[in-house]
Amino acid sequence: MMEAALLQVAGITKWYGDQQALADVSFDVRRGEILGLIGPNGSGKTTLLEAISGLLPVDAGGVLWQRTSLPQHRRREVVFYLPDGLRPWDGQHVIRVLEFFTSAFGGEAADLTKAIQSVGLEQVLGKHVASLSKGYARRLMLALALLTPHPVLLMDEPFDGFDIRQTREIMALMRRVAAHGRTFALAIHQIADAERVCDRFILLVEGRVCGIGSLDDLRARIGQATARLEDVFLALT
Amino acid sequence: MRSPDTATVQRTTLRPLLVKEVRELLSGRALWTMLLILCPLVGYSFFQAIALYSEASGAARDQPVLATSLSPLDGIIVPTFGAFYVAVTLLFPFVAIRALGNEKETGALKLLVQLPYQIPTLVAAKLAAISVAWLIGLIPVATALLLWLWFGGHLNPLETSNLFLGHLLYGILIGAIALFAAAISDSSATAAIVTLSFTIGSWVLDFALAGQSGTLGWISRLSLTQALRTFEQGLFSAALVLGMCAAIAGFAALAAIWLHPGTSLHKRLTLTILCVGLAGVLLAVVTQLRRSSDVSEDKRNSFPAADQRALAGLKEPLIITVHLAPEDPRYVDLQRNVLSKLERIVPNVMIRLVTAGQSVVGSAGEVSYGEIEYSYGGHLAKSRSTSHREALPLLYGLAGIPAPTPQTGEEYPGYPLVAGGWIALPWFFVALPLLFVVAWWWWSRRAPHISPQFVKSNGGQL
Repeated sequence: MMEAALLQVAGITKWYGDQQALADVSFDVRRGEILGLIGPNGSGKTTLLEAISGLLPVDAGGVLWQRTSLPQHRRREVVFYLPDGLRPWDGQHVIRVLEFFTSAFGGEAADLTKAIQSVGLEQVLGKHVASLSKGYARRLMLALALLTPHPVLLMDEPFDGFDIRQTREIMALMRRVAAHGRTFALAIHQIADAERVCDRFILLVEGRVCGIGSLDDLRARIGQATARLEDVFLALT
Repeated sequence: MRSPDTATVQRTTLRPLLVKEVRELLSGRALWTMLLILCPLVGYSFFQAIALYSEASGAARDQPVLATSLSPLDGIIVPTFGAFYVAVTLLFPFVAIRALGNEKETGALKLLVQLPYQIPTLVAAKLAAISVAWLIGLIPVATALLLWLWFGGHLNPLETSNLFLGHLLYGILIGAIALFAAAISDSSATAAIVTLSFTIGSWVLDFALAGQSGTLGWISRLSLTQALRTFEQGLFSAALVLGMCAAIAGFAALAAIWLHPGTSLHKRLTLTILCVGLAGVLLAVVTQLRRSSDVSEDKRNSFPAADQRALAGLKEPLIITVHLAPEDPRYVDLQRNVLSKLERIVPNVMIRLVTAGQSVVGSAGEVSYGEIEYSYGGHLAKSRSTSHREALPLLYGLAGIPAPTPQTGEEYPGYPLVAGGWIALPWFFVALPLLFVVAWWWWSRRAPHISPQFVKSNGGQL
């Protein structure tokens, strides 16, 4: 069930020298939804997620939490961001990294057990993070996300490195988590993946928002009731 | 599966963070490599020190008066710690940089700063872990001192602890500098260059400006090497300890300012200027403190006990005017034998160096050059001696008090010892490195404990 805006991104603008990475980006994030940030490589998806999470200073704009301004240093209280391609603390065993996250957030062994079993990390708990395959490294990141108590999870390319079957499993997992009230904002460059899992979409090209809404909303904008997201994206950008 | 809960995000405990930081340092190769290099470095210094000490002790057996000059602090402890100092200066930065550099390079820092810890807490935890690594690095020195005791050598707890404190503060200061360097650098290699520019630059500062007067002299006292020298002389200086603590806090604060990737450059620069200003004021304040204690067993930094008691009773201002250039060896003698001791014991003493800023060549032709004027209670006396044996009677004359009678039984006995230091060589060159290699192998190969509940299937349902 969708609710009113939980988090609002208001006019975020970011410049890298004379290149504008984000141009007055604004949109809402609703409780319990899976929001997809869709755009080609270099469109500003990662920059946007880092800006929302407070890990990147911006030139203008901000974030509101339940209609109240959320200063940069307080973003981590409600938003947790998982960067793309990370192998955190790669000299440690997988179980140690997971236990560290569990303890840091005051979690219990039961939370850790569920996170491990949900993403299928049982077989690699005794391995070093550095020795994980790309897929298992992704699973580890997802498990870390599930161990956090934050209402909003921002994830950069969460399906990169998974095969089709694994991708579907992870999507199903996200659906179940979202049903418990957790909100996801996912940066995805594979439009087909995004279409399968996301409730709404933000179409981003060269740092500008070209479209916002559910697939039906976007289809209505281009006047094609049965268009695939890929066609919608090409038509609007 | 956890439910959304913003309250939980704000409360946590420090223990998991500390454990993680220590594990990170132990997982890196830098610490183990430093330990392996430390073994022969400390071992050879210790062996050489024992050889020289034994040689001098042998001579003291024939001439007992020589024994009084045999102090284990100078002969054994300082040289052994000296090898450790070299390693801490040149190798320890690489260990300390790993505490942050690896997280910056792998991107884990982006996760770390989102955990429910304040940024200063993260820096403090890293500094604590660096201190633990420093303590592990001390193992070769500790075994050297234990061997010394086993040989029958003498250690004075107070002067040994004082030297330990000096090296501890120095190690943590290097760690704080390394953390700051890692915070401002994109790669560990750059951070290493920045840190080594501090440590090696400090040596250059020490060589180039030591003995200078005025501003240059003040700058030379900022050298990290100078800081340790006071502890090596058996002095506990409150100003120095507080100054080093202020420097550690300053670099740690700078690391905290530059740690979070979300802080704008403008804010970082503003906070940096404030931090440097505050640290500068703190340093200026603490350097005004003149309290220092002579903790050496032989009381080398003090006059004989009877003189100390008499001089402590001089309540009026004592003004000493020195007509010597700062780089003149006579001034160095005077400073060491008389002035520094008077500063510590006489309640109200002022020293004026009238030739400050002048060179020996430019001043030596003046008639008054070389004179030392002592002014006390409206009376004036002059001398050219740099020895306390001549200066103190002058002072007693000015103050109108009789020279105290030296008391017997207060002399430092000295601790001569002839020992076969070669026994230490197999320990430092074979056994201890082997132990470190085994420990390293065990640490890197050990399997973590995995609770059966984590792998017991429950269907993978949330």
